[in-house]
Amino acid sequence: MTRSENIHDVVVIGGGHAGTEAALAAARMGASTLLLTQNIETLGQMSCNPAVGGIGKSHLVREIDALGGAMGLAADAAGIQFRTLNASKGPAVRATRAQADRVLYRGAIRGMLERAPNLAIFQQSVVDIEIEDGRAVGVHTDMGLFFPARSVVLTTGTFLGGRIHVGLENKPGGRAGDAPSNALAERLRAMPFPVDRLKTGTPPRIAGDTVDFERLEVQHGDEPRPVMSFLSNADDHPRQLPCHVAATNENTHRIIRTGLDRSPMYTGVIEGVGPRYCPSIEDKVVRFADRTEHRIFVEPEGLDTNELYPNGISTSLPFDVQVALVRSIEGFERAHITRPGYAIEYDFFDPRGLHHSLETRTVAHLFFAGQINGTTGYEEAAAQGLLAGINASRQVAGQEPWVPGRHEAYIGVLVDDLVNLGTNEPYRMFTSRAEYRLRLRQDNADLRLTPVGRDMGLVDDRRWRTFEARRESIRAATAFLETQRVAPGSDTAAALATRCGESVSKESTLLEFLKRPRVRACDIAAVVPGLGAFPADAIEQVEIQAKYDGYIRRQDEEIAKAKAREEVTLPADLDYDGISGLSNELKGKLAAARPATLERAARIPGVTPAALSLLRIVARRHVESTRTEVLERSA
Amino acid sequence: MTRSGSGDTIAAVATAPGRGGVGIVRISGPASADIAQQVVGKKLTPRQAEFVDFRNAGDETLDRGLALYFEGPHSFTGEDILELQGHGGPGVLDLVLSRVLELGARRANPGEFSERAFVNGRIDLVQAEAILDLVNSATRQAALGAVRSLSGAFSEQVHALDRQVLALRVYCEAAIDFADEEIDFLAESDIGDRLEAIRDGLAALRSDAAQGALLNDGASVVFVGAPNVGKSSIFNRLSGDERAIVTAIPGTTRDTLTADFDLDGLPVRVIDTAGLRDTEDPVEAEGVDRTRRAMAQADIVVEVVEDLCADDAAPERTDSTLLVRNKTDLSGCEPGRVDAGIVRVCALTGDGFEDLVAELKRLAGFRSGEGAFTARQRHLDALDAAGKALDAAVSRLDEGEGELLAEELRTAHEHLGTIVGETSTDDLLGEIFASFCIGK
Repeated sequence: MTRSENIHDVVVIGGGHAGTEAALAAARMGASTLLLTQNIETLGQMSCNPAVGGIGKSHLVREIDALGGAMGLAADAAGIQFRTLNASKGPAVRATRAQADRVLYRGAIRGMLERAPNLAIFQQSVVDIEIEDGRAVGVHTDMGLFFPARSVVLTTGTFLGGRIHVGLENKPGGRAGDAPSNALAERLRAMPFPVDRLKTGTPPRIAGDTVDFERLEVQHGDEPRPVMSFLSNADDHPRQLPCHVAATNENTHRIIRTGLDRSPMYTGVIEGVGPRYCPSIEDKVVRFADRTEHRIFVEPEGLDTNELYPNGISTSLPFDVQVALVRSIEGFERAHITRPGYAIEYDFFDPRGLHHSLETRTVAHLFFAGQINGTTGYEEAAAQGLLAGINASRQVAGQEPWVPGRHEAYIGVLVDDLVNLGTNEPYRMFTSRAEYRLRLRQDNADLRLTPVGRDMGLVDDRRWRTFEARRESIRAATAFLETQRVAPGSDTAAALATRCGESVSKESTLLEFLKRPRVRACDIAAVVPGLGAFPADAIEQVEIQAKYDGYIRRQDEEIAKAKAREEVTLPADLDYDGISGLSNELKGKLAAARPATLERAARIPGVTPAALSLLRIVARRHVESTRTEVLERSA
Repeated sequence: MTRSGSGDTIAAVATAPGRGGVGIVRISGPASADIAQQVVGKKLTPRQAEFVDFRNAGDETLDRGLALYFEGPHSFTGEDILELQGHGGPGVLDLVLSRVLELGARRANPGEFSERAFVNGRIDLVQAEAILDLVNSATRQAALGAVRSLSGAFSEQVHALDRQVLALRVYCEAAIDFADEEIDFLAESDIGDRLEAIRDGLAALRSDAAQGALLNDGASVVFVGAPNVGKSSIFNRLSGDERAIVTAIPGTTRDTLTADFDLDGLPVRVIDTAGLRDTEDPVEAEGVDRTRRAMAQADIVVEVVEDLCADDAAPERTDSTLLVRNKTDLSGCEPGRVDAGIVRVCALTGDGFEDLVAELKRLAGFRSGEGAFTARQRHLDALDAAGKALDAAVSRLDEGEGELLAEELRTAHEHLGTIVGETSTDDLLGEIFASFCIGK
């Protein structure tokens, strides 16, 4: 065994979206960091569809960006089409989606990794994690190298025990063309982490010069073109391309039905559970048999390739069926498949075995992030990677973990859902998962997180200066509207009534007036001189805050209560069976979840206020009996 | 002086109404003194019981009784406490409690007084645990009981509303989270109609629940009266024919006779007794003793007398007694309700029995167990809160503010969920995926 000469603060295993954010975050915070990857060429690889963002997902990207992360910047550097989703709905649910050139995306991520101080990259496959006294102390690679570490972040995605299915054929694989990490999977299976199988899939890829685009609906990006990162400009984007929309038809569905007897899903070859929201085309055809068509978004893979990603026909049917079904689609009659679609089954660890910091409960100084925790999606993986990198680094520095609350960030919702409730399908973020959705917006991710990111050493001077200027503009614009008053009968009132259709019935500040549903800040700016001098994004922010003010204040009380409950910790070894006031059903649920605090217990479905009172008392008793014990021992 | 940092003031009915004859509304928290001032119209001296009127906002007397004020930390909870001890009738208690809530107190959660007592060091852990254990199982049963006793119809209707709100949420949330799938709920005109239908359903349910939703753990009704006035005939007719007898426990003629039956969905235990009169006969004396005990425990005492077509014989009515004047066939007077708590009947023909049953139901409706009573109040509060959110949802829909419409629907759904059980986000997503073909 060759021992690496120096010990790293943080060793990250895996170079996907979780691993790269973890390594970058740890390095930004000053930890000496080593990123181990099986293949340097695939750092930042988008294994599935070539797109970043989407509803709920761009919210995560914005939060990662607000904390100095890479994903937003890389998406802007690689984005070849940008759209604003839910543009006609309220700002809380507005989102951004970018089609990305895979090569440019990988290049952007690799560039950031290579430029990062404190960060070393090494190409080696990890086969084992060294554990001493219940604590991770380093990793072994397949060449027999040993890298000592103060903490280890594991982000191996779908590579653990990965198995690829096409029809009834299957073989081990981490992603098409890449080997799985079977030695490591075997070692981890021997450790006390509850492990289970999930599956996901991809569609066949198609050569663009064999598609008749004239017969497809064209879909251009949105103007004005949105950006992902708070630091980016639309001018930074590369050349833009359109997407296209195709659709399956009844003939396609008939072809799929005839192939079901050779489908690994429908013949029981695949045991893993797939996501309910991203079904394969065979799932859609079976479950929604009355539908006569399903839409397919035809996405370009990049600027310098004509390969296409037909989003919507993920399949693990045998190759001959894939060819037939693709060619049954209008515009695809002569289509050539460049890579077959496939399903992949992989190991994941029950995330209930993690602390909210993403450190495992059973092995100290070992963090899990990304798809191995049962999630799906680049954004979900990156968010966890960032959090794991932050907390691994904080642990080495002797600091408490940082865990954002559910009311502070989608990252907080993501981690809390996983750790508290576990998952039985690949977990994807949706805005409906966030009960404080109205405050967790992509437009205010920086206001929510950049200051705390700065405190933790994640935010560099350039980002901080940009942020401070924006925050000051918002403050000044708010102050302006707070001090300007409008009185009934005044010229201003008349002008506002004409523009907004809202009359001024009593004297109020312009900020109060802005809270009315039909009043827009730009209307006020047109009537009242001075407001237009503030930057557009600051005015927009003031308007959004004004519109949501009532709702957000209503939630404050709820949040305060949750916070008080969060401060009551429940002992890890609490004997729920011994609490006679609880129903058997609740005893079982609580014993399985082992909530660390009263608030986490409160969010377990079925927990009543009375049960919470009881738990509060029990927690108190535990504290007092521990204190007595300590006193007795010291006496 | 308030020691607890909890800040808010809580209130609840602290007695089992109908059983003791005295009903207590207990208030704990910093606003207690202020509430006392508003309700009894003067400053109370700590630890001194004062006989006062309890008044509403319009200065009308709701009830009169004893008011007691304890200053924290020398009180049960360690906080300032006000106790209003009035007549036990839940109707009255409800009015007094409503008045207190209107003055800024919040309805206490089950066990919350004990929890505060514990937090402020007034009771020890063992006591607190014992109380909370009881409260816990009692509230579980009460919650179950309340749903049961608010009759199948009530919980079915809440369930139906809950499902309708869920269906709307499925649409709204799908439209937000899956904008690519081209579900434009705001363009669908029938969202407004469905919202309107839910609001109508809720309003109807709310008024039903407030007026007549009867709940109980089985009100007990004792029949007393001199021999031969027809107690047994009335008892037999009530418990016989169309009303199902669940159990019948015959004793001797000088013992009590009990029958459990369902009075139009309201479970009632009726006890027929021996007559009340002084007697030397030891066996009959034992029967009279039993009668007295049964009366002391009863929710409703039905006194049966022979009808004399006169009203002067009526003793002072309370809301727990019913005077039945039997044998209108002999007196020749018109059978039926005479006044609140007084009915004329003919046990032989059944004339007047409709009114008798109505009077029993009226009285029994107010005589319910504390747990179920409290739980029902919670349910009504929840319906009100859900209604408020749905009203707001309508304006949000009108303004085209989809995410705020979704927020109001979520709030309404959460309130209904406190009655019929919450729907988790995961369940909601499950509904979305089952309803629509979503995903690329």
